[in-house]
Amino acid sequence: MILDLARMTWTFLWLSLICVGGGLGVIPELQRQVVDRFHWVTAREFLDGYTLSQLTPGPTMLVSIFVGYRAHGILGAFLATAAMFLPTAVLTAVITRHWATLRDRPWARACERGLAPIGIGLMAAGVYTLARSGIHDWATGSLALIAVAVLSTGWLPPVLLVLGAGIVGWLMGL
Amino acid sequence: MTDRVRLSRIVQVFGWTGLTSLGGGRSAYFYDAVVMRRAWLKSHEFIQDLTLSQLLPGPSFNNLGVALGVRLAGWRGGAWGALALLVPGALILLGLTLLYFHVGFTPNTASAMHGMGAAVVGLVFITTARMIRASMRGGRAIVVAAAIFVLVGPLHVNTGLGVLIMVPLSLWLHRPRGRS
Repeated sequence: MILDLARMTWTFLWLSLICVGGGLGVIPELQRQVVDRFHWVTAREFLDGYTLSQLTPGPTMLVSIFVGYRAHGILGAFLATAAMFLPTAVLTAVITRHWATLRDRPWARACERGLAPIGIGLMAAGVYTLARSGIHDWATGSLALIAVAVLSTGWLPPVLLVLGAGIVGWLMGL
Repeated sequence: MTDRVRLSRIVQVFGWTGLTSLGGGRSAYFYDAVVMRRAWLKSHEFIQDLTLSQLLPGPSFNNLGVALGVRLAGWRGGAWGALALLVPGALILLGLTLLYFHVGFTPNTASAMHGMGAAVVGLVFITTARMIRASMRGGRAIVVAAAIFVLVGPLHVNTGLGVLIMVPLSLWLHRPRGRS
């Protein structure tokens, strides 16, 4: 059992290290590891767990809690989640802190100028990807347009709008 | 480096962001919280941390929380900010997981999620448009942003590969010139 716990922790750790540009890209590999290779969850459970993680606020990669709990209870959920988030959080903190001391140098400013459009381009690609999966008929298209119109005024917090759209979707049976 | 924001405020705002960031495109909630509503950061500072969080390994929403926390209140800001961001969603998901395995609760929420997903498209669109308006300066930046958008979006190139191709090119295009 301890060996399998260590194996699971290691699996989530290396999966976190190949997770670049958001969690979506690593989902297929995560499924391969936890369903097909180590059988910690069934394919149906993985799909339900992923759905729950999308339904829940916070990062989608919190699906580690679901898989970890299924495999080794509360301890498994804790270790899988710590492995998924902690090492890369420490790495980010160290790099961010160190970068702050370099920020005023000309080459660092040039780096920031060079990297900023990468971030914006990736965000725009995220809009495209979300739109392809989230807009599939006139009703969902209209909801997206209404969201743009309401949010551009700034008077409604995003969460209320998203929850409201969820209720509309549920009532309309989208 | 002095803290820009009190730690208790960071925990409060990051915790609320963690609790309310529903449905994907979660960095848009952060932008609303720390740039639009509180002006803790300028748009270009947010984009710097957003970019870093996307380029570094790990779940990017958590990386973004750490980077913003470190910028606003040093090490403690990063640590407490990330914890505050993760814990609400983690506890909710743990509760749902217990219900799933012990009570037989099955997520049958496709209709609600379709509605939420459509609104999130609108949210991420408007946030991206605001970032572009506030921070995109110069033809080179526009070309780079458009190129990585096309690669990772319509052409479905793997994000890591797209980054590997475009980062060196963008750094070269934006290299320091002359003495300035």
